[in-house]
Amino acid sequence: MKLSKTLSILVSFTCFSLAYVHQQTEVFRLGYISQKRQAVFDELLDKNTVLRYNVDRNSSLVHLQDKFSGTDMQMPDTYRLMKVAYLKGNPKSGRKLAKKETFFSGLFSVKREAQAKDLNR
Amino acid sequence: MGCFIFLSLCIGRLLFIQVFRSTYLAEIAKKQHNLFVELEPVRGIIYDTNLKPLAVNIPADSLYASPVLIADKEKTAASLSNILNVDIDFLRQRLSRKKSFVWLARKVSPEQSAAVSKLNIKGLGFIRESRRSYPNQYLASQIMGFAGLDNTGLEGLEMTFDRYLKGEPGWAVFLRDARQKKLDIWEKMALPKDGYSLVLTIDEVIQYIAERELDKAFKAFRAKGATIIVMDPYTGAILALANRPTYDPNQQTNSNKDQIRNRAVCDMFEPGSVFKIVAASAAIEEKLISEEDKFYCENGSWNAGPQILHDHKPHGWLTFSEVIGQSSNIGTAKAAKILGPEIIYRYVKLFGFGVKTGVDMPGEVSGVIREPRFWSKNSLLAVPMGQEVGVTAMQLASAISAIANGGELMRPYIVKEVRDKYGEIIKEFSPVEVRKVISAETAERVKNILRGVVDTGTGTLAKIDGMSAGGKTGTAQKLEPNGRYSHNKFIGSFIGFAPAEEPAVAVVVLLDEPHPYYGGVVSAPVFKNVARDAIKYLNMKQQSRIVFNAD
Repeated sequence: MKLSKTLSILVSFTCFSLAYVHQQTEVFRLGYISQKRQAVFDELLDKNTVLRYNVDRNSSLVHLQDKFSGTDMQMPDTYRLMKVAYLKGNPKSGRKLAKKETFFSGLFSVKREAQAKDLNR
Repeated sequence: MGCFIFLSLCIGRLLFIQVFRSTYLAEIAKKQHNLFVELEPVRGIIYDTNLKPLAVNIPADSLYASPVLIADKEKTAASLSNILNVDIDFLRQRLSRKKSFVWLARKVSPEQSAAVSKLNIKGLGFIRESRRSYPNQYLASQIMGFAGLDNTGLEGLEMTFDRYLKGEPGWAVFLRDARQKKLDIWEKMALPKDGYSLVLTIDEVIQYIAERELDKAFKAFRAKGATIIVMDPYTGAILALANRPTYDPNQQTNSNKDQIRNRAVCDMFEPGSVFKIVAASAAIEEKLISEEDKFYCENGSWNAGPQILHDHKPHGWLTFSEVIGQSSNIGTAKAAKILGPEIIYRYVKLFGFGVKTGVDMPGEVSGVIREPRFWSKNSLLAVPMGQEVGVTAMQLASAISAIANGGELMRPYIVKEVRDKYGEIIKEFSPVEVRKVISAETAERVKNILRGVVDTGTGTLAKIDGMSAGGKTGTAQKLEPNGRYSHNKFIGSFIGFAPAEEPAVAVVVLLDEPHPYYGGVVSAPVFKNVARDAIKYLNMKQQSRIVFNAD
């Protein structure tokens, strides 16, 4: 009786120990997985940061000036602010206008132009 | 029996370990399993007034070595020297240390990092850090300054506002595996507090316009140095500030002190004729002289007692407006005699000369103006003409703004807001009125005189097509080391505002030792181009804001 009690205690203790070890190994396994994913995430985040930096750098006025310094390109004398906008009124009217484009006009035009509104009036 | 003894020994040993050695061994195990790591905070970003980033953080690899693991140190040093552009002796010395960790190069470029990785040398490794980078290169470099390797501000706003930008480091205790490799599982953690971001009053576009025009003049007139300040006269907000020579903060190690120094606040100089705005304001405010009062300008040469005064062009009778318009030294000296030293000194101080403006940039000097009791016989004639005084470009910008805005001296400022990483405003800096210098009526009358300078006086090259402007030219002789005035070293300057009716910008332009040297020839055109383009841009910005609001 005593022996079976001792054995059952030992078995349960062993099971508990094994469960604990398993838990620990699981923690580490998941740790490795999360670390791998974190590394990928960090890499992507870093690439994104560098990309944004490069966009900022390339679109900076100083960079554009350097880029255009040797070319014929010049800024216009009179600045005009343009804003792409839908035609006023019923938005369907815009679509109707677009539909008026015939087969031949569509064939010979490069692409439909954006509707622009001059704001410097 | 033997079994019993063995079992007893084992139990005894276990008891000994558990009871007497547990603390000690647990401590060793803790050291092996845990790793204490300091978590670096992210340094705050610096934005312009439109929230365009001027200073950001980008990831950068730092190269380290474990010299004990490197087999061929000579070959490694040679390969790295070529890639990193570092002295080979430095690398040899580092790799010969008997240490498990030495830095070889901090924050290298992505290309260098990739090239070193390709070498695949055992004992070399990278640690990811962040590097401060400035996407606009030299633009506004002297304003922003730069941060060092450990992300601590060393110059400019990076230094002045370091307490906001740097943040607070955190820490974490990470678990380690059997190979002592760090796992991303932490036992305890205190998150780092990221630095706050700064929003400046600087507008990137106006800054670009100002730098572009200043650079052109600096090169065309072969000047030794140059400074420009564009200010909102009603608030004191600095819209642009630039100096030449300049530097790229991304490569600040290649720059010298002359390039890094913010001349606009650190350099003091004798202003010359631009200082006549003080005498003109004092004369009209005190009602001692009116615009139509006439002065005989002695046909260009006058023995004023202590010294002989000269005008750059001979004049006969001139009204007071014309005296300022033609920048007559003789006429100004005669006006100064009417005003007297006490009044002149009072107005010099009222306009903020001789004390720091309080602008939030490091290294500002206060300038020099002596009290009248220390003046020589010559001082009464010299001070109103901008001699025997030392001023900064920032003080001149404040003074001309006071005339432009109706008589209020505003404290110049460059940081508008401090924000946290979520964009919430932590601190806001509002315009501060220092004092009322002159009445609105006097300011209006002085503005009209300064319009005359641009329309018919010495500053006609500052005239903007389709827009009114006011200003004053200055050509100041520099002092030689022997204390005498130089005959070939000058500071050509122009201070002004536009449009004259309701000024949107006040501009100060200084060229140090230009060729030719007249302020009206070298600096006035810079004012014209900058004011014209800046106002055009500001109008466009306002229009687009109205349109988008209406939408």
